[in-house]
Amino acid sequence: MKAVTWFGTLKLSENGDVEECSLLEKDPEQLAQHMLLAVENEELPTHGLDLRELALACGFVELDEDYDVLLREICIKAAKRQISMTDTDDKRIIQAVEAMDDVDKAANELSERLTEWYGVYFPELELTAESMARFVARFGSRENVPEDHNMFSKASSSMGAELSLVDEDLLRNFATNLCGIYDTRKNLEQYIMANMGAVAPNLTNIAGAPLGARLISLAGGLKKLAAFPSSTVQVIGANNALFKHLRSRAPSPKHGVIFNHPFIKGAPWWQRGKIARALAAKISLAVRMDAYGGKLDPSIKVNLERKVESIRKAHPEPPKKQSTKVTQPGPGRAGGRPAKKRGGQKKGGMNKGSKNTNDRSGGRPA
Amino acid sequence: MKVEQLSDGIFEVIIDDRKILSTHNLYPGHSVYGERLMDVDGIEYRQWDPHRSKLGAMVLKGFDIPIEYDSHVLYLGAASGTTVSHVSDILTDGLVYAVEFSPRTMRDLIKLCDQRPNIIPILADANQPRSYAHIVETVDVIFQDVAQPNQAEIAAINSKYFLEDDGHLMLSIKSRSIDTVASPKKVFKDEVKKLEGDFGVEFEVLQRKELDPFHEDHLGVLARMFVDEDEE
Ligand SMILES: C[S@@+](CC[C@H](N)C(=O)[O-])C[C@H]1O[C@@H](n2cnc3c(N)ncnc32)[C@H](O)[C@@H]1O
Repeated sequence: MKAVTWFGTLKLSENGDVEECSLLEKDPEQLAQHMLLAVENEELPTHGLDLRELALACGFVELDEDYDVLLREICIKAAKRQISMTDTDDKRIIQAVEAMDDVDKAANELSERLTEWYGVYFPELELTAESMARFVARFGSRENVPEDHNMFSKASSSMGAELSLVDEDLLRNFATNLCGIYDTRKNLEQYIMANMGAVAPNLTNIAGAPLGARLISLAGGLKKLAAFPSSTVQVIGANNALFKHLRSRAPSPKHGVIFNHPFIKGAPWWQRGKIARALAAKISLAVRMDAYGGKLDPSIKVNLERKVESIRKAHPEPPKKQSTKVTQPGPGRAGGRPAKKRGGQKKGGMNKGSKNTNDRSGGRPA
Repeated sequence: MKVEQLSDGIFEVIIDDRKILSTHNLYPGHSVYGERLMDVDGIEYRQWDPHRSKLGAMVLKGFDIPIEYDSHVLYLGAASGTTVSHVSDILTDGLVYAVEFSPRTMRDLIKLCDQRPNIIPILADANQPRSYAHIVETVDVIFQDVAQPNQAEIAAINSKYFLEDDGHLMLSIKSRSIDTVASPKKVFKDEVKKLEGDFGVEFEVLQRKELDPFHEDHLGVLARMFVDEDEE
């Protein structure tokens, strides 16, 4: 019997005696590499071996301690290498998506504080979120707003309180930091935009970078996403809506974050379920290609567009059934943000976005 | 302060009538998971929290711990090394192979390995003993805490590969990771039965006790592997 071990390949007799050893060099780097590659090897021992005895018998090491020291060093090296290999591109995308969520949370909280705080001094300023932060960071007190600025008349006739120098400093600093957070968000967004094409070209082509990244993050990785059936892809990220439905005993949600795809968002409610199903099927297909290193195949998107067009043609009118009254689930927790932010003047990001959930994302005639 | 030895490398430090389970700190001055360090007559002891360690709980529940100072131990489900660190303390002249399959968790475990010369980390799935059969030698003791539905099977197939004749298996069985509906008692009974014969190895169960109040819904099992001479 031939057996591959971490220190070499052995030929063993029926009763386990060594007949031949071909030992590896005692070079830790090479041994670690061999240890990892051996896992793919057909000739790994099919039952346990007394490896220590064998290593001594073959003269790979002379002492028990040498065996321990060398094996430990190599196992640590091998494990470290395995860990660094798990930092794959899709894992980096996931970090960026999750960082974006954290940043949004922080930005919402700080911007609410700023709005309330600065409102004391300039209640007429009708800016929110980022534009508010930029304004305060730039001018501080409303007295600094120059004449040619469109807020000038409001600023000079404001009923707001006086702002002391100390308070102005504090506010300005606070606002400046908040601007930094908004900048970070843009960086993260750009990072995702720039890298999704390489990580998952087909998914990105169909779903767009933000939504594609969101799907990978919710699934926990590209390979995991590829393993989901398309019916699951359709509801990924619907958890919040799902819970709401469970509580109110309403029907289960029909779609998760893919609801944010323009094809569904832009469609009348009675077409949404059908389009979601078609979209989920194509996303599944695309992701499977990507997970196995496939190149961009534009035909998937062409086929999807065709399919969506035919759904639109086949169902131009709402169905005649009287509408059953159900609470409709909102979009999944996170989905909308990436697209929403682009306008610049948004209101506070996700919190508000996901609170008003009175759209028709879920209930759908069969 | 007084110290009593419970078994190889396992002690109770007695402070004001309180008995504190502990091990000799192999890496003095350093605590691994925030546990207390105690100096008694120039020797540093490290508190072993039984609420955070199934093995620690098994000690206090009166199991005969088969781990000796020079044992070779295969530890399945090492996590970030809370318990492994105490096993490492015990094995002053031994070795523990620590198998863990989550890369994120292994990252923490490796930090521990860097500090201690007797822990050998293996990032692998305990369901696939063959994937580390080129690394792990025959061992005296297998300790397993993986909290997986097929925990009996994992224990059995690893014993088949790596446990020496008459070697000991220590197993923590979590009832809820198998069946959330069935009563823990039934789950325990079924798992032990599986262990005793379903996977081509046989065990003699030496001790079995629930690990409460330290761990709810957990059963500790100590077994010795039989070797069936007729087989092969
Ligand atoms: C309950 S925790 C172990 C805690 C640890 N024994 C301690 O006391 O410090 C279970 C661990 O087993 C790991 N695990 C689960 N299934 C596994 C498998 N098939 N192979 C290897 N490790 C596994 C999990 O990742 C987790 O870290």
